[in-house]
Amino acid sequence: MKLISLLDQLAAAPASAAAPRRALLQHLGRAAMAALPLAAALPAAASTKDTAYDALTQLLLLERLQLALYARALAAPGLIPAAQTPDFQRLRTHQEQHVAFLTQALQTAGSLVPALPTFDFSGRRGVAANPELFPGVLSNYDAFLALAQQLEDLGVRLYKTHAFAIVNDAQLTNAVLRLHAVEAQHSAHVRGLRQGRGAVVATWPSDADAVIARPAAAQVLTTAATGGEENIVQYLTPGKPIVFSEFLLIRDNTAIHDSALPEAFDEPVNSAIAQAALNLFI
Amino acid sequence: MDGQRVPLYWPRPDVRGKQAGLINLRMSDHKLLPAWREQSLGRRGFLRVSAATAATVALVAAGCTTDPPEPVKVDPFLLTLPTTDAGLFFFAYLLAIAQATVFQKVADTPPTDFTATDRAVFTDLRDHAVINRELLRRIIDPTGAAALLPADFAFSLASLTLTTRAGALAAAQQLADLAAAAYPTVLPLLSPAALLPRTLLLKMSSVHARHAATLRDLRTPGSFAADDAVFTTGLFAGQLRTKTPLETLAVLAPFFAPYVISAGNLPLPV
Repeated sequence: MKLISLLDQLAAAPASAAAPRRALLQHLGRAAMAALPLAAALPAAASTKDTAYDALTQLLLLERLQLALYARALAAPGLIPAAQTPDFQRLRTHQEQHVAFLTQALQTAGSLVPALPTFDFSGRRGVAANPELFPGVLSNYDAFLALAQQLEDLGVRLYKTHAFAIVNDAQLTNAVLRLHAVEAQHSAHVRGLRQGRGAVVATWPSDADAVIARPAAAQVLTTAATGGEENIVQYLTPGKPIVFSEFLLIRDNTAIHDSALPEAFDEPVNSAIAQAALNLFI
Repeated sequence: MDGQRVPLYWPRPDVRGKQAGLINLRMSDHKLLPAWREQSLGRRGFLRVSAATAATVALVAAGCTTDPPEPVKVDPFLLTLPTTDAGLFFFAYLLAIAQATVFQKVADTPPTDFTATDRAVFTDLRDHAVINRELLRRIIDPTGAAALLPADFAFSLASLTLTTRAGALAAAQQLADLAAAAYPTVLPLLSPAALLPRTLLLKMSSVHARHAATLRDLRTPGSFAADDAVFTTGLFAGQLRTKTPLETLAVLAPFFAPYVISAGNLPLPV
């Protein structure tokens, strides 16, 4: 995210941008406004103005965060059961490869690779006096899995957001789409592991999933990971929602369970909200 | 002979009916000519004659005889996908038909050794695949009225063992892996003008990858994103192994027999 370009957009936002901004605020729902001074103030359209550089650096930050989480979790004695250690070694390997790929993509383009931040998984943002937002993520397996799931879900959504941001490099676009699919497999697996631990969760975002409880200041992570996944309004024609009930009929044996409609589509995430969530760990 | 100056095949008025069957004329017709040599062609006649001459020269040059052509046999089982975006949507539609057929069958008659979790998963898989299939159908044919495929076109289940858990999971995983691998190559081939449908396919693509991982883990716990699904080395390390539409259709081909899907019109991946 380039702060300067976003501020430019803010200044240039026409009066008509008020409606989407209101929609965004509604969409955030229970999210703690104090946690997102930047995201809440942004025009909703800002996410579509990301440059390829914004996209790649934001994806790199996310992959670095995931890599740090798995590396530290694997190093934490007794956190990950022996039976699941190979799973998380695979996840760590993939994230390493993703970080290497995105770094190389930036370097090949002659772009500056941002410095590696120091990640703090407590949510204290490096200040001991701050409240702990994610207790036990490196000592309690269930707390660790919940965070891993949210970061993998966020990964799927962020790759979707940026999938076509790289307009002048077809090979890189193809790679982003291949990475997107791997993140989705990761997310499904971590969700499956939580299922095995008794959590009410599907291997895809579902309305039936039990909410992962977070303090208000960390709510933006939940918003970034799954906010809006309940969406059932999809478009083929601008401004004209698809009327699914016209062609999903008992008569034709095409009727479905209501819960399946939002599940069949994974949603993207507003990149400013994603950034606010990532900032919780920096 | 001077047949070039006075075309040999210009018919007399009383045999003009033969004009339509231009290529039926034989050299034996030339004997009609002498009586007509002195006649002026006139401007319209000249134009018709010169056009016909050019056509005959072209036919001969192309190695064609002037005999009646053999009628081209149309293969009733050949289905040629349309060009550009429409062809890609149709390709995705065929993939959705394949998935929905298998998931529907397993959800309707689950194997006796299925667990409650297996049954619940297949209910959801069936619903998702039906949504995909019907939505793609609407993208191809917004009114929903056209017959897109022959009435007897079907994804054949005959070669699959869907009566056991192992067989059902193997078949389902094969199709989910296939869809997960196909979408990342189809999406960039869609034109930016198809922004909204492309966005919908993008939203479906990660769900396909989730299905693949779910079925992999059900079949063999921990086999999500395994080395047979993800590149392990090289530039693409950590990225999904994808399939082009041609590779995907090659896998589906035995199931769609006797129908043959031609993807010759589809854009090529870069």
